Amino acid sequence: MAPKFQIKVFQLSRFLKNFTIISVVTLSFLLVFFSKTDYYVIYGIKNISSSVVVPVTRFISAPVNAFSNFVDEYNQFRSLKFENKILQEEIIRLKKWQTLAIQNSRENKVLKKLLNATDNNLILIKTASLINRNDTIYSKLINLNAGYEDKIKKNMSAINERGLVGKVIDTTAKNSRVILLTDPNLSISVKSISDGIFSLLTGNGDGKYLVSSFVKENKMPRLGDIVVTSGTAQIFPVDLLVGKVAKVEKNRFFVLPFVDFKNIDYLQIVTSK
Amino acid sequence: MEFSKFLNSSIKLNIILIISFSISVNSFILFPNVNNTFYVLFHLTFIYLIFYHYHYYLYVVALAYGILFDILLLNYIGAHLITFLFLLILFVLLKKYLIKLSSYQIIFIYFITLIILLLFEQFLANIIYDYKFNIFLILNFFLISLIIFIPTIFLFHKLDK
Repeated sequence: MAPKFQIKVFQLSRFLKNFTIISVVTLSFLLVFFSKTDYYVIYGIKNISSSVVVPVTRFISAPVNAFSNFVDEYNQFRSLKFENKILQEEIIRLKKWQTLAIQNSRENKVLKKLLNATDNNLILIKTASLINRNDTIYSKLINLNAGYEDKIKKNMSAINERGLVGKVIDTTAKNSRVILLTDPNLSISVKSISDGIFSLLTGNGDGKYLVSSFVKENKMPRLGDIVVTSGTAQIFPVDLLVGKVAKVEKNRFFVLPFVDFKNIDYLQIVTSK
Repeated sequence: MEFSKFLNSSIKLNIILIISFSISVNSFILFPNVNNTFYVLFHLTFIYLIFYHYHYYLYVVALAYGILFDILLLNYIGAHLITFLFLLILFVLLKKYLIKLSSYQIIFIYFITLIILLLFEQFLANIIYDYKFNIFLILNFFLISLIIFIPTIFLFHKLDK
């Protein structure tokens, strides 16, 4: 079934061969050694990979991407009628809420004036769009089309209209990489809105839920509680929406993020004031 | 026809390597298994190149793909680069024994190498960068390897002919 085992012999000088092998092994050792530091060679490699390799790989994988988009659009087209019905019902419901919201907003403005309060604690750095994603194998990473030229720095938070998406872990001149909340290697400090229970959340590995890795005083939040960033670790700004408690066990609880990680097009990079 | 004559099997395998690398590092939300399949295919092709088309240029190939896989999938250089180079060095050390094996024994070794390679990468990522062991991913890789292994062998065999 398999071809007979054979090794092709190439007529090359032994010195050149050994030199290449030793150089490659030495270079690899050095790269692994310096990988975790902000050494400029590693930075250069990362820069090349995001500005040269990523566009090339996107071009090569374009047919698969086109097919994936076609299937996505076909699925959307199929569910059009059903979605339309739901949206009509939603419009009626929202119109009722709108009247109430306008009243509340007026009241809110008046009360804020009385208290001399500011609106929020966030500074918007840049709105960036998604270039590509590497969130299937290993880490859950996405690449954005804005970098340090747009004043994006490491550890800034990435949000969208639904809440917290992740954290910037690398920036080059025109690109930046964001690690998603669902990554098992990212921890966020959060608190529940109703009880103010502080805990640490990490990705569950399945890419859907966040799971608590530490809960302060072992107090479990209630099912359905909304969880926001606590701001205690001073990485994420305080009070960013994270998700809803979906499952509570004896020593841990699961949170369903508000963000739909499958539908990310634009992200806002923010930092606290 | 003339163009296909120009391409020898080693070049064809390298083209497969480039394509499978490109597809595996670009996630497709609707078809996550496509990424995983091409990731396994990349490893299959790389092992095949080492086993049947060993040449010292493969060290450079291992260096390039190792770095790129590590940066694009893990954001740190280490796991893939070490694994690919380790496999090459191991092959050089063991090739005198591998030559004596039959075709079926080679296929078995080939499959075992693939699984060990995929596990070793996770293990190294865990040791070097504290990456949490993802059992879902390992099971997925194992299933995909089982499914695509034999068809890929046939494909490579045809390319070699």
